Amino acid sequence: MHRLFKWLLPILLFSPSTFSQDWIRTGTGLGVEKVRLAVPDFKASTQDAKNTDLLKVFNDTLWNDLDNAGIFDMVSKSFYPLGPVGSPPDVKFEAWSAPPPNAAMLAFGNLGASGNTLTVQGWLYDAKNVTSPQVLGKQYQDAATTDAARAIAHKFADEIIFRLGGGIQGIAESKIYFVSSRSGRKEIWAMDYDGANQHALTHVGSISLSPRVSPDGSRIAFSSLTRTGWDILMYSVDVGRLVAFPRFGGTNLSPAWSPDGTKLAFSSSRGGDPEIYVVDQSGSNLKRLTSFKGPDVSPAWNRKTGAQMAWVSGRSGLPQIYTMEADGTNPQRLTEEGYAVSPAWSPNGQFLVFSWIRHYGPGAPGAQDIYIMDIASKQWVQLTHDGGRNDFPYWSPDGRHIIFQSSRSGSEQIWTMLADGTNQKQLSFAGSNTQPNWSWK
Amino acid sequence: MKQRKLKWITLVFVLGAIMMLGACKKKVAPPPPPAPPAPTAPTASLTANPNTIEKGQSTTLTWQTTNATDVSIDGIGAVDPNGSQSVTPADSTTYHLTAKGAGGTQDATARVTVTAAAAPPPTSSATEEELFSQNVKDIFFDYDKSDIRSDQQSALQGDAGFLKQHSNIVFTIEGHCDERGSTEYNLALGDSRANSVRTALVQSGIGGDHIKTISYGKEKPFCTQSNEQCWQQNRRGHFVYQK
Amino acid sequence: MATAEIFFEHERWSRNLAWSLGLHVAVAGLILLYAVVGPSSHGAGWGAGGGGDAIGVTLVNTIPLPAPAVQTENVLANESKGLTQSLPKVEEKEKEPEAIPIPDKDVKPKKAPKETSTKRQKPQPEPVEANNIVPFGQGGPVSGPYGTFSAGEAKGGFGFTGGGGDFGTRYGWYVRVVQQKVQQSWLTYDVDRRITEAPRVYLTFDVLRDGRPSNVQVEQSSGIPSLDQSAIRAIQRIDTFGPLPSDYSGNKVSVEFWFDYKR
Repeated sequence: MHRLFKWLLPILLFSPSTFSQDWIRTGTGLGVEKVRLAVPDFKASTQDAKNTDLLKVFNDTLWNDLDNAGIFDMVSKSFYPLGPVGSPPDVKFEAWSAPPPNAAMLAFGNLGASGNTLTVQGWLYDAKNVTSPQVLGKQYQDAATTDAARAIAHKFADEIIFRLGGGIQGIAESKIYFVSSRSGRKEIWAMDYDGANQHALTHVGSISLSPRVSPDGSRIAFSSLTRTGWDILMYSVDVGRLVAFPRFGGTNLSPAWSPDGTKLAFSSSRGGDPEIYVVDQSGSNLKRLTSFKGPDVSPAWNRKTGAQMAWVSGRSGLPQIYTMEADGTNPQRLTEEGYAVSPAWSPNGQFLVFSWIRHYGPGAPGAQDIYIMDIASKQWVQLTHDGGRNDFPYWSPDGRHIIFQSSRSGSEQIWTMLADGTNQKQLSFAGSNTQPNWSWK
Repeated sequence: MKQRKLKWITLVFVLGAIMMLGACKKKVAPPPPPAPPAPTAPTASLTANPNTIEKGQSTTLTWQTTNATDVSIDGIGAVDPNGSQSVTPADSTTYHLTAKGAGGTQDATARVTVTAAAAPPPTSSATEEELFSQNVKDIFFDYDKSDIRSDQQSALQGDAGFLKQHSNIVFTIEGHCDERGSTEYNLALGDSRANSVRTALVQSGIGGDHIKTISYGKEKPFCTQSNEQCWQQNRRGHFVYQK
Repeated sequence: MATAEIFFEHERWSRNLAWSLGLHVAVAGLILLYAVVGPSSHGAGWGAGGGGDAIGVTLVNTIPLPAPAVQTENVLANESKGLTQSLPKVEEKEKEPEAIPIPDKDVKPKKAPKETSTKRQKPQPEPVEANNIVPFGQGGPVSGPYGTFSAGEAKGGFGFTGGGGDFGTRYGWYVRVVQQKVQQSWLTYDVDRRITEAPRVYLTFDVLRDGRPSNVQVEQSSGIPSLDQSAIRAIQRIDTFGPLPSDYSGNKVSVEFWFDYKR
């Protein structure tokens, strides 16, 4: 009997992988079960002429935010019962909870401009619970502009996602920072998480790379080519310009904030060879963490604990990904082959996403794709397959999405996808856009 | 009786003619060796202008000769009887011109004093920069490597030699990478490459304070084709003369 | 070694097991052939933590979402006698609002671990004894304290207790969130791979005001420590379910889960 089981054990270990799909989905919180959510267009509550445009922006934004969240099965509008729904008395429960809509939850409300003020009322209802359906009831007021309508839609969507997503904040109000060359020089730009509202932040006029926003969203650290070489520069989002930060000498690259915002890790060659250093967020107390021969670059803190760091080292030849404690001890190698760069740690602390050329060598190197690795077990899953060079992946704050840069469209652009590799969408189109960084909330 | 007198006259005439002929013949005999109409010795003059220069600068030798058919200057060779030439002596030199003519040989000298260069005056740094770009060769690297390849050692030594000779020169080594590979890692790799060249030069005796290094990663490529030739072109440590 | 004990303890299973083993051997033989002939993939270190090389695990894109389907049963639609018997009793209790927040542990049915392996999702007659668990109203994918789900190779069910007894009725959406999070949290590779099926394990835990789970307890063990542990870890792994509904007056709510495991 025992012998039989020992023989069976290796067999069981080889069993193929619907399992892995479970693992990646459960680990990233996707695809397990999706709540069927119906979101009819909000109704106009006033007679103002501005309502048409405001409603269009609001409804489109709300729908996209909820659809993008990765946790809802959006009920197609073609199944909705007729008749607008603007407030609780309009809700006919049976019509919504029965087929064809078969909705579990219903989000509805009304919107109206009155003079220069916009008022929005929104509800989230449990469509199966006639006696006490209300989960959320909210009212918002702002200026009667499309930007405000968009912002309110983001807020309302995030409320719904927070309640139905089990306490994880939605990303509809989050921002993405990236490098764009469309003005002629590589500068740091910003945009909404869905690609709207792309605008330049810096005007250094040189080559600026590797933007990283601080956890509280107030500052962006980046690396720029100054007259003395590559330096870490600091842009203040609050005052809209560069603020002072020390120069360290040598080539200083790839800044990374600790999750509590008190420290900045980066790569510096001030001592000759590029190594990983840590400094206080004010720029003082510089400490060196690594002392490997070969380039050490691209540090990434453990976002959950701040107690560890991943980084890229060329100490063994081609760059590989390593982890170490936040004080530099206990380096561990994670990748064994190929060319692995650009690690980013997931918000739940469990995964690294990175860019990997698994088959690398003279002649034509293989494809460069985005991979996720479970740090504890070193199991990895490949997320992109569609060609082009895919690099600089970064997690959304809810851990359900990943942004990255890809050259598959012919030029380098920012793309987004769910953390299981599905739903890949292009966010930028003009010029060359690289190195995206997602805000922390 | 008249016939006897005629014979005597003829004989006298013949003898006289013979004597005269012989005398004439003596006249036609080989002319005297080529001597100037006024058989004068050659002249030669040689000047250097300026006759004091700093090391690395040039001066112009100007000479004139007369009555000379064969003119040469030591260190230059045969020259026209009159002419000028620019020279760049590395050390103080006395130029020696020899003019040979019918009247003899004439020498002329001109001394050029070379002083050690302090700061090279602007007019001569252009030449120095040209010399720099002609003589200091970029160092090329292998894939993902920042150590100096064996086939680059001679280029490196040549660079070191020139730079030691022109120890006043200040320059920058730029580290570059090819387009493949990731932006951040390539910047760090370019840094390693620039550093590697710098270390090798310092070990050869070049003053470290004359050498600046900077990495450009793949941000400033020399060519943009996607093939191995272009990629190799971009994997280099590039020397830039600092004015 | 644990394997051996299982076999010795449950000798009456030997015949079933022999059949099961026979089938397993046949299938395993085929798998072994495939493993030898097909592409190699290391399965080292499942649940054993780090060490060893990075392992490739391929997403099979053609498998439609979502991977483990959630099956929930509407208690009222079920025709088992046990249910129809118990239901009327429970309905009566609905009229007398009982606010017994803490499930009475002694009252739990003594489900002997000798349950047969035919584990369908028949809610057990436990609600008869646990008179503080109140069923939901009609309809909904999650209904009753006997809401059920499947997570990979496991099936589970749960009930909400406490808070005036009507938590599940009023806050079906919250119940669904809890169910989803526990389901996706139970990463079944924690369980010893040699186990092909195991009896039910019952767990209880509280959800505090801010949504944190606490006080995870094994009500009744499955008899297999690794299965118990994996169930406990499933709950402990969760940071928050989201704050309790704002208009809910209680400070916490209690949840009871059971897990079945079968591969």
